[in-house]
This record gives sequence, structure tokens and C-alpha cells, in this order.
Amino acid sequence: MIEVLRDNWSFLLWGYFPNGPIGGLAMTLLIALASLAITFPFAIAMALARAMGPRWLRVAAATYVTVMRGIPLLMLLLWIYFFLPVALGFPLSPFVTIVIAIVIFQTAYLSEVIRAGIDALPYGQTEAALSLGLRKPVIVAKIILPQALFNVIPGIINQFTSVVKETSLAYVIALAELTYSASLINAQLMVKPLEVYLVLAMFYFVLCFSLSQVADMLDRSISAKRQASPAR
Amino acid sequence: MIRIESISRTFGTFQALADVSGEVRHGEVIVLCGPSGSGKSTLLRTINRLEDVSSGRILFDGQDIADRTVDINRLRRRIGFVFQQYNLFPHLSALQNITIGLTKIRGMKAAEAREKAMDLLARFGLSHRAANMPGQLSGGEQQRVAIVRAIAFDPEVMLFDEPTSALDAEMVGEVLGIMRELAASGMTMMCATHEMGFARNVAERIWFMDKGRIELDATPDVFFGPEAGERAARFLGSLS
Repeated sequence: MIEVLRDNWSFLLWGYFPNGPIGGLAMTLLIALASLAITFPFAIAMALARAMGPRWLRVAAATYVTVMRGIPLLMLLLWIYFFLPVALGFPLSPFVTIVIAIVIFQTAYLSEVIRAGIDALPYGQTEAALSLGLRKPVIVAKIILPQALFNVIPGIINQFTSVVKETSLAYVIALAELTYSASLINAQLMVKPLEVYLVLAMFYFVLCFSLSQVADMLDRSISAKRQASPAR
Repeated sequence: MIRIESISRTFGTFQALADVSGEVRHGEVIVLCGPSGSGKSTLLRTINRLEDVSSGRILFDGQDIADRTVDINRLRRRIGFVFQQYNLFPHLSALQNITIGLTKIRGMKAAEAREKAMDLLARFGLSHRAANMPGQLSGGEQQRVAIVRAIAFDPEVMLFDEPTSALDAEMVGEVLGIMRELAASGMTMMCATHEMGFARNVAERIWFMDKGRIELDATPDVFFGPEAGERAARFLGSLS
């Protein structure tokens, strides 16, 4: 295992970069960061639509979430890979393809987490803000979201780690992220699949574990700032 | 100032308010009392439209508050509302709870809003709590901050929905103290409460409510006297 790591660490970390295309862990991180950056605002919008939108919007958002929960991400990825370029009339790179798939899929899941945070707030918070004469957008931005997002940080981080792991599906569209890179190494070595895939597992574990540690720190520091449990 | 014209409010089959009428004049302090479920809260909440009425109408300074031309947010800024559960924003400090409205609505500069909020906190002996989060304050302090938050807009009328009911007994006094002070300053007030001492000493009139109706609209002398009627007497008996 040490041997596999010693011979291939740079390929696993960043592919052929800087002499060739970027790959490995670096590509995995790029996919995850791009997906998260786009998913997060969409998920907030979706959660708000479900929690406080007009009826037609609530129904539309709920339908979206239900559909997404009912299909596998891999299938969604294949659909986007094969059909979206046809529908659009121009080709999509594998990178764009996997990011679109994750954004569409995770918007549904992440919005449910955020919606739970919004629904869990006592209605008195909204009433107090209304009685001050605050406008709806201000109430959402200054009163509802800061509390709701804070209360569901563990759930949000959970979805973040899911996204990191879901980047591995890019394997099927031959995008050289971490899993695909490992499979290339495995194909080359032929006789060391156990070692190669143990190294792969280790990479993912370290990545996701660090993420959850960062989340815990964040959680603690915000808690310390607020220093007390929310008022009833 | 506030004129309530035969309003009703039903929740499903439950009639919370049944044909309630009344008038509140400028500078008047009205105490609403009556058993729980008698409609006190609902009545107060219809006045700043946290609840809409099923029928009837409410005039504020001669204007129907349900009228389409009324900017509801503007109206609410003229009406301070204090909740039983304080409803401070737990993610903001005591000071920020007060300044958020001033900066976001009045468009005040942060420094100006801060100064105004600090002045008000000082007036009610809360200066040392300005930087604290609501969770670090006692119930009485939270409710006092909530009152300050409401009066920061210089409202024309203050509505109190059982402001001391969630408090430990030893903190009731400090909150009633603020309310007395407000009343003495000439503030128009409507207050749902079970604090009969406050009702007797501060109220100009008492509205005794039962089953969604105002059963009795009387001065404290009459309400606490022998001619108030059997139902009021029974209610007062149940409190002591």
C-alpha cells in the first residue's frame, strides 16, 4: 500500500498537472466546490419557496423535491450526459455535466435540510418582526435565515460530505477525478486492486473527516458567539 | 384613536371574537381581562393585523386598517406590540434587537440608531445589558428589552399581550414598572393582563371579556366594586 502511494501520490493528488490536465483529488475538490457554490443559493431559494412561497410555488418546489428523491443520481448524470447536449445544441464538458447533475440533485436534498431549519423556528419570531413593521425580504434575510441556517449546520455539512462523495460518479463519464485516477492506476498495476482502492478510500475519508471537523469548529464558534440557547 | 366596529373572528368553528365594539381614546390606558380563551389576545392581534377579522372593521385614526391603500408595515410602526413570550431575536444582542428596526426601517445611520437605543436602554436601567444576547438575560430583562424595542419607533399606541404571564413572580414588578412609567408619560395603551393591581391603579377603563365578547366596559372603581356583576366577580374570585 505504501508502495502504491509512493509511486502515484502526485497523480492521485493533481493528475498530470502542471504538465497536463488537472485530475485526482484536485479535480474532485474543484467539482465539489463548484457544485456547492451553485447548489447553496439554489437550495436556500427552494427552501424559502417551500416554506413561505405562494401556494403554486410551494407545490412546484415540493414536486421537484419528490421527483429528485425518487431517482438515482447516476441516472440523472447519464440523462444530462446524453440528452442535455442534444437539447441545447452544443456539447458539454464532463466537468460541466457532473456539476449540473449534482446541483440539480443536491438542491432538492439541501433545500429540505434548510426548510426544516426554517419550519423549526417559532412563529413568534416572524410575528415579532412583522409587528415592528419590517418588510418580508428583511425578515427573511436578517431574522429567519441567520437562525435557520445556524440551527441546521450539522445537516448542511452532512450534505456537503455527500457532495464530495458524489463527485466519484464522474468516473462513469471518464472525468479524471480521484476515483477515475485510482482506476487508471489500478488498470496499470493490474495485480494490486486492494491496495489501490484502500488508498482511494483513505483519501475520501481524510477529506470528509476534515470537512466534518471544520463543521464542528464552525458550529462551536458560532454557538460561543451566541453563548446561549435560543429564546423560546 | 382606535375604533373597533363590531368585529368577529372565527378559527374554524371556534368563535374567538363575537361582534366586539369599542373605542380607545388618545392617551387612554385600557386593561383587557377575562378568562383564557376569552379573546383578549385575538382582539389585540387584530389591531395590528397579526390576525385579520372575519367581519367588521377597525379604524385607526379614522382609517380602516384593512383598506387596500394602507401600507401595513407603516401602520405597524405606529403600533408597538409586546408579546407574552418576549420574542426577542436570539441571534442578535439586546442592542441589535432594538437597532435592527431603526436602521432597516427608519433608514437611520448605524451610529444614530445605536445612540437612540442606548438612550432608551439607559432610561429603563438596561445599559449594562446592551451587549448581551437574549439568552443571557433573565425573563424580566428580556421583556423590558422587548418593550424598549417596541417603543424605539415612537409608536402612538402600545399593545401588550399578557406581558408578565411568562415571568417568574419576582420579575413581574420590573416589567409592570416600565409599563406604569409609559402610562404616566401619556402613552395610549391596551394591555391584556391578569395583574389586577396594575388594572386597578393604572387603567382608565377595564374591558372584561368572556367568550369572545366584551361583557363589561367599566372604570376600575366599577369593575372592582359590587355592581360589576356576578361573572366579573366570579372571575376575580378565581384569580385570588
